[in-house]
Amino acid sequence: MSLDKTIKGLETSFSKDLSSSKTPKELEEFRIKYLGRNGQLTSLFEEFNKLPAAEKPRYGKELNILKNKLTALYQKAIGANDNGSSSSDIDFSLPGYNLPDGNIHPLEQITSEIKSIFQSIGFSVAYGPEIDDDYHNFEALNVPKHHPARDMQDTFFINPNTVLRTHTSNVQIHLMENQDPPLRHICCGRVFRNEAVSYKSFCLFNQVEGLVINETSSFAEMKGTLEYFVQEMFGKDTKMRFRPSYFPFTEPSAEVDIWNSKLNQWMEILGCGMVNPNVLSNVGYDNEKYQGFAFGMGIERIAMIKYGIKDIRLFYQNDKRFLEQF
Amino acid sequence: MKVSLHWLKRFVDFNLSATELADKLTMRGFESEVVTDFDSLDNLVVGEVLKAEKHPDADKLKLCSVSDGDETFSVVCGAPNVNTGQKIVFAKVGAVLPGDFKIGKAKIRGVESFGMICSERELGISEEHDGIMVLDDSLKAGTPIKDILGPLFNAIDIEVTPDKAFALSHRGIAREVATIVESKLKTPISMAKINPKSKEVISVELDKKGGCTRYIAGVMKGVKVGPSPKWLADYLKSVGQKSINNLVDISNFMLLEIGHPTHIFDLQKLDKPAIKVSWAKKNENFNALDEETYKLDADHMVITDTKNTIALAGIIGGMDSSVTDTTTEVLIESAYFDPVVIRKGSKKLNLLSEASRRFERGTDPNAASEAFNMIVQLMQEVAGGSLESVITDECSINLQNTTVHLSSEKLLKYAGQDISSKEVEQILKGLHIDAKKSKNGWTCSIPTFRTDLSVETDLIEEVFRCFGYENIKSSFNYSSVMQYANDEEASIFSLKHHLSSLGFHQSYNNSLEDLEEVKLFGKDAVSVLNPSSERMNTLRTTLHSGLLKNLDFNYKNGSPDTLIYEYGTIFEGKTDKLEDITQKSSLSCLVHGDVFAKNVHFDSISASFAFLKGVASNIFEDKRLGMKVKFSEEKHHYCDPYFAITDGKKQIVGGLGVISKSLLKDLDISHKHEVVVLDIDTKIFTDYKNYNTKVEDIIAYPVVSRDLNFKMDSSVKVGDVVKTMKSVNQSILQNVSPVDIYQSKKDKSSKDVLFSLSFQSSKKTLEDKDVNAIITEIINIVSKKFNAKLRDN
Repeated sequence: MSLDKTIKGLETSFSKDLSSSKTPKELEEFRIKYLGRNGQLTSLFEEFNKLPAAEKPRYGKELNILKNKLTALYQKAIGANDNGSSSSDIDFSLPGYNLPDGNIHPLEQITSEIKSIFQSIGFSVAYGPEIDDDYHNFEALNVPKHHPARDMQDTFFINPNTVLRTHTSNVQIHLMENQDPPLRHICCGRVFRNEAVSYKSFCLFNQVEGLVINETSSFAEMKGTLEYFVQEMFGKDTKMRFRPSYFPFTEPSAEVDIWNSKLNQWMEILGCGMVNPNVLSNVGYDNEKYQGFAFGMGIERIAMIKYGIKDIRLFYQNDKRFLEQF
Repeated sequence: MKVSLHWLKRFVDFNLSATELADKLTMRGFESEVVTDFDSLDNLVVGEVLKAEKHPDADKLKLCSVSDGDETFSVVCGAPNVNTGQKIVFAKVGAVLPGDFKIGKAKIRGVESFGMICSERELGISEEHDGIMVLDDSLKAGTPIKDILGPLFNAIDIEVTPDKAFALSHRGIAREVATIVESKLKTPISMAKINPKSKEVISVELDKKGGCTRYIAGVMKGVKVGPSPKWLADYLKSVGQKSINNLVDISNFMLLEIGHPTHIFDLQKLDKPAIKVSWAKKNENFNALDEETYKLDADHMVITDTKNTIALAGIIGGMDSSVTDTTTEVLIESAYFDPVVIRKGSKKLNLLSEASRRFERGTDPNAASEAFNMIVQLMQEVAGGSLESVITDECSINLQNTTVHLSSEKLLKYAGQDISSKEVEQILKGLHIDAKKSKNGWTCSIPTFRTDLSVETDLIEEVFRCFGYENIKSSFNYSSVMQYANDEEASIFSLKHHLSSLGFHQSYNNSLEDLEEVKLFGKDAVSVLNPSSERMNTLRTTLHSGLLKNLDFNYKNGSPDTLIYEYGTIFEGKTDKLEDITQKSSLSCLVHGDVFAKNVHFDSISASFAFLKGVASNIFEDKRLGMKVKFSEEKHHYCDPYFAITDGKKQIVGGLGVISKSLLKDLDISHKHEVVVLDIDTKIFTDYKNYNTKVEDIIAYPVVSRDLNFKMDSSVKVGDVVKTMKSVNQSILQNVSPVDIYQSKKDKSSKDVLFSLSFQSSKKTLEDKDVNAIITEIINIVSKKFNAKLRDN
C-alpha cells in the first residue's frame, strides 16, 4: 500500500534534512517543511482521512507513532542546538505562584490549643445544645429561679422556660445525667449574654469549661491542674494567683488572674471551684462519696490577651485584613 | 459598693492605705478597686485664693492668684464659685489626679496657668462638678491635702458577690477587716434600751401567708427637719452620696452603716397610726418616691395604713406618705422581708433599690431591731424629738443562731492537705462563728447575719478563704494516669485545616440576626423573646447569611476575591418549644471572584461553580470516607441552580448552588461574579469510625489513551455524554474526561468537545483491537443519543 511507503519515505528524508539543519534559521525552515501547518506530516494526515473506515484504525496508530517520533527527534535537535543553555531563558527572579492563603480563625486556634493542653492530661471533649431549658442552664446548676445570682448572667430567652445557654455548664449536666463518675471532660462552644455590644462585650462568646468528678479530686488538685494549663498556655514563667470568688455551681469558688507585666496589672482569665454538692445531687450522684472541680474560661478574652486585640467585635466581623494575620 | 475608710474606722482600727486594703480584701473574695487614695496624690496642697479677677480674654474664666503658703501662682479657673479669700484644693504642676489626669503648665486663652483648683469630681470624692471644692477657712495654706481630705475621703469600691449579703455595709466589711488585721470590732452606737414617753401602741398586722416575718414600728414626735450636721453629711459624701436632710440622711446612713434598710413615714399623712402588711390588688397604681407610678400585681407585697398603700414593701416608699420639710411626726419601719418576694416584686417592675438589693440577698433578722434602735437614737441626736409609742415588734422568724457541722475529714478531702485544728478554730472565731470541737470535727453556731452559711461546704469555703488560697499547696497527679481523651469533632478540625490549605478563610459570624433577613432564607426561624436590638432578634437558620455579609464587607473594603467558610450551629423551629427546635452543627463555604488572580505566570483562575464543585469532590471523596458522590439538580429557595450531593446510598451529604440574583439584591450584597455556596453535612465526618480503605494492587500494564472529538448541539450537557461513555464499558475503560470545548464565535448553536479516554486492563497489555471495539461502540451510541458527529482529528 502506498501510504506505508510514504511513511517510510517521510521518515528517511526527515532524518536526513534534520542532520543537515544546524543554524536556528535552518531548523525553523525544517520545522515548517515537515511539522508546520501545511507541512508534510499534515498532508499525510489528510491522506489518511481519505482512507476507507476499515483501514483507519491501523494507520491511525502508525501515524500517531510517527508524529510522536518526529516531534521528539526535532525537539532533541533544537535542544542540542541550545547547548543546554535553555535554563538561562527562565527568569528565576520572578515571584513564585501566589497560592491562596487560607487560615483557621483565631478563636478556633485558641480553642484547639486549649483542647490539646487538656487532652494531654486525659480530658475528653464534649459538646451540647446552645438552646436549652432553664433547668439545665440554671436550676440543676444550683441557680434557683428567684436567686440574685441570675443577675450575674444576662439571659436571652426563647420562651420563659427556654434560654440561649449563658455558659457551657449545661453540657456538664447533660454529661453527668448520662454517665457515672469518674468524669474528666472539657466542654466547649458558644454561649450568649444579653449585653450591649461594645468593644469589650459581644452578645455571644466562646467558652471552654472543664469538669473532674471522682472520689478524691481536691482543691489542691484543681490548683495543680490549672497551674499546668496556665503555664502551657501563657508560658512557664507566668505569674498567677487564685482568689476567692462566688459562683452558684461551685463552692469554694475562685478566680484566676495572671500578671500582665506590660499593663502592670492582674488580668482575670478563668473561674473555677469545687463542684457544689447540690449540683452533684441534682444529677443523682452521691455527693458524700463523689467530689471534684470545675472551671471555665472565655476564649475571646484569652485571645485578646494573647494577641493584643482591643476590640472583641473584630472576631465576628471577618475582615480579611484581620483574618489573614493568623 | 463604695466603702469609705473613715467610715470603716468607726468599727475597726487599722493602719492600711486604701491600696493595701483593696488588695487584702480582693484576696479574701471581695474584689476591690481604689476610688480615692489621697495618700498616693502628691503636689496637692491647701491653697489660698489671694485674688480672683476676670480673665482678660474670656467672660466665663477667672484669673486667680493662689498661694501655697510659700509662693504665689497664677491659675486660670472656670468655676463660678471661686472667690478671693477661699481656701481651696490646689493641684500644683506635677500633680496627677485620679484617672491619670496629669497637671502641667498650660496656656488658657493666652494666659499662662500654673496648676488647677479642683472640684470634688476631679478629686474622685463625688460627682460634684458645678464648682470648686471650698475648704474650711481655718486651714493653713500649704498643708498637704492628704492630711486634710485623706482621713475623710479615702475610699474603695467593692464588688460584693450575690451570696455575700452580710458585706453590703460598712459594718459587714469592717468585720472582714477585723479578721484581716486581727483586731476587735467596735460598737459606735450603743444598744441602750429606749423608753418610750407614751403608752400608745401602733398596731401591726402581718399577712399569714408570710413574705414579711418581722415588722418593728414606732412613732417619734417633735422631730425637726433640717440640714444634717457636718459629720453625717461627710460620711455620706465619703461614699459619693449627697446630703438631703437630716431625716433622709439618717435612713441612708443606717443602710450603709449596718446594711439594714429602714423606712420613715410622715405619721400625719397616714390614715391612722397602724400598719397592715398585705398583698397589692392586681393593677393597683402606686405613686412611688421616685415620682413614678407603678402598676402593681397581686404578688407585690405592700405596706398599708390599713386603708391606703403607703410603701412597696422592701423596695420603695410611697410619695404620699413621704417625709418633707414640714414633717414633725414620723413612723419608723424596720422589717424583715422574704428574699424571693422582694426579688420577684423588684424584677417584675424592673425597679432595683438599695433596699431591695439587700432584702433579696437576705438580711439579718436581728439587725431589724438594731437598726430601729439606732435610728431612734440618731434621730434624737440629729433631729430632736422623742419616742412616743411602745415599740411594736411582730416577729415570727427565728432569731437564734443555726448550727452547721464541719467534719475534719471532709475538710481534708476537699483541701487535699491538712489545715491544723488550731488554724480552723481561729478562722471561725474571727468570723464570729462559735465552733465547738466534736468527735470528728466542729459543731458551728452560725450568727444570723451570715445568711449565706447553711451547709458544710459554706464553712469549708470560709476556712479556705481565710486560710488563703495561696497557702493551699497544688498537686498534679496526671503523669501516672493517662486515659484516652476523645474529641468527636477532631475529624471536623482536620476538615477545617483541609479547607484552609485550599485557601479558605474560616469565619465566625453572629448567631443572632435580623428576623426580616432570616425570613428571606425561607426556613422556620427561632426568635429571642428579649432581644437587645431588632438587628439581632432571631437565630440563624443557615450559615449562608453570615458568609454573604462577610463577602459584602470584604468586597466594600477592597477584597472582592472571597473563599470563606464557617462551621457553626444553625437553628430551626416550628414553634418556640424546645422539643420542636432543631439545632444542628453545619459547615458552609462561599466563593466569589478569583482563586488565583492574573499574574506573570498564567491568567486568573476564578472561584467559580466548577471550582467549588471540585472542592466538594475533593472533600467528600476523602479516602477515609470511601464515598463517591453524585450531584443532582433540585429546586431551592434561593439558589439557582442548586445540586443536592448524595453518597452511594443516595443519602444527602451536602449541597452546592449559586445564590440567586434576587437574594443578592434583596440583601444588597456587593458582588460582580456568581456567588457559589457549598454545604457539607459534617455528621458523615464524625460518624465514620474506622479507616476501612482496602489497598488495591497497582496495575503494571500500560495505559492506552485515545481522544475523541465530537461536534454536538450546544444544549447537550457534557456531563451526560461522559456518563454515557462510561456506561459502555466498566472493565477496561478507566476514565473519560472532557479536555476541551470549542465553540466558534459565528455559530453558537453547536460546540466541539474533545474527550480524553484512558484504557487499562489488570490482566494484560491492551491491544488496538481491544480498545477499538469499545471506541466504535462509544462513537455509535454517542452519535445516536446526542445527535453528535465525530470530528476528524
